[in-house]
Amino acid sequence: MKYMIMLYGSQQDYDVLAGRPTDKPPMTPDEVAAMHAYMGKLHEELAESGELVDGQGLTAPVHARRVQLRGGAPVVTDGPYAETQEVLAGFTIVDCASFDRATEIASKFINPDAPGEYVDVRPVFDSAADLDL
Amino acid sequence: MDPATEDLLRALAPQVLGAVVRRYGHFDTAEDAVQEALIAAATRWPDNGVPDNPRAWLVTVASRRLTDLLRGEQARRRREDTVAAQWVPPADVSTVDSDDTLILLFLCCHPALSPASQIALTLRAVGGLTTAEVARAFLVPEATMTRRITRAKQRIKESGLPFSLPPADQRASRQSAVLHVLYLIFNEGYASTAGQNLHRVELSTEAIRLTRVVHRLLPDDPEVAGLLALMLLTDARRPARTGTGGELVPMAEQDRRLWTVESIEEGVALLSGVLPRGEPGPYQIQAAIAAVHDEAPSADETDWPQIVALYELLMRLSDNPMVALNHAVAVAMLRGAGAGLTLVDALAADERVAADHRLPAVRAHLLEMSGDRAAAREAYLAAAARTVSRPQQRYLHARAARLG
Repeated sequence: MKYMIMLYGSQQDYDVLAGRPTDKPPMTPDEVAAMHAYMGKLHEELAESGELVDGQGLTAPVHARRVQLRGGAPVVTDGPYAETQEVLAGFTIVDCASFDRATEIASKFINPDAPGEYVDVRPVFDSAADLDL
Repeated sequence: MDPATEDLLRALAPQVLGAVVRRYGHFDTAEDAVQEALIAAATRWPDNGVPDNPRAWLVTVASRRLTDLLRGEQARRRREDTVAAQWVPPADVSTVDSDDTLILLFLCCHPALSPASQIALTLRAVGGLTTAEVARAFLVPEATMTRRITRAKQRIKESGLPFSLPPADQRASRQSAVLHVLYLIFNEGYASTAGQNLHRVELSTEAIRLTRVVHRLLPDDPEVAGLLALMLLTDARRPARTGTGGELVPMAEQDRRLWTVESIEEGVALLSGVLPRGEPGPYQIQAAIAAVHDEAPSADETDWPQIVALYELLMRLSDNPMVALNHAVAVAMLRGAGAGLTLVDALAADERVAADHRLPAVRAHLLEMSGDRAAAREAYLAAAARTVSRPQQRYLHARAARLG
């Protein structure tokens, strides 16, 4: 079974990562390096256990484009998110035995020192047949 | 900053801009971000050393700066009104692998922009010059140049041009627009239309550098090779074109030993590579004319029949009164001043050239050749009154005084 673990962040969280002053204290370069090392190790372990499908981080929300159709033709809105809005910041797709195992993996994505931080886990449709459910 | 670092930055400028625009879009803002990254590099690299991967460094710094600039823009816009813009799909998706420098050149030389804007934007976005440098080269205040560049970028943004090569059916005309802009940059450097000095060498040098880049990207295009040859063969004469006092020396009186042999050899070699392909375009023909001049030991020993024939070929390709004027000079050298003057007088009715100083200047030279000193003097003075270039004014007045 495949599951998507989704990580969220606002523009402010990106600033914290970039070490830029905001309402929240910025991360130091050491803290950023430690976080990257931790995430790298986590993904390596998942790759070794054969459970990693893909993991990606997304660039700052300011770079997002919203695409809609108007009169059948695509129109684009640049930067559709407000600075404080929490949006998808990254995801990891795992292929593991059960939702519980996926949840166990997901718990490792949460920073224990960041109160209130959360990730979402959602089962991925295995095949088109699942869509009939 | 040492010249090697400067060359590196200038060469990387369009690649970095291309990489940032491909990834994030926003050509106008990305262009500002890249400029700031280039300035940051120019400030830091001399002290901290050039990074291992200078291109990646510049892309990273420019991307960060772009993020900041976009946040500012979006916050401002959100207070007003969020607008969804019509999205124009790239016209030619098969060109994703093409060189970004070429795409940028096509974008900066888009026909929707005025020639002045095309030139300014090309020098900044492709040449990597700062606004201050472009302003200095064109002898206008920096604020004026900033407005010109901002307007040009705004225009590109509004026209919704995709970051890709023009579609096949527009390719030829858009490419000739690019070559024309490079030619204008070269000419502005070689024969400055305004100001104290005859040459603004940096513009000629920059035009040659950019044309070399285009030639490297399109090695099989004969007109690109022709334009590069034309620039080299013309620029070769620069050391002899001004006297010790900065005064203009006409080609007939130049000390040909001062001409740059390497440039002539390179230009002739380029030309020899493309001319045999037949049906040469206007740049190849102009380069051929320059080559005939460059290879002549003196004005008298110039192959004038060949030059007349080349100008006639050129006149069949384009109805340009300046070409006709040069043709008249060549005819005068071949068949005598009278024959040349007849052609010049026929041109006087052409309103594209009637007010230009070059018409009376050529007339003056031919009248002097024919021995009509009084009429020649009058024509020199008429020409001097029409040019805004100081060196040309001084030259024309000196010629008139000699006949006084």
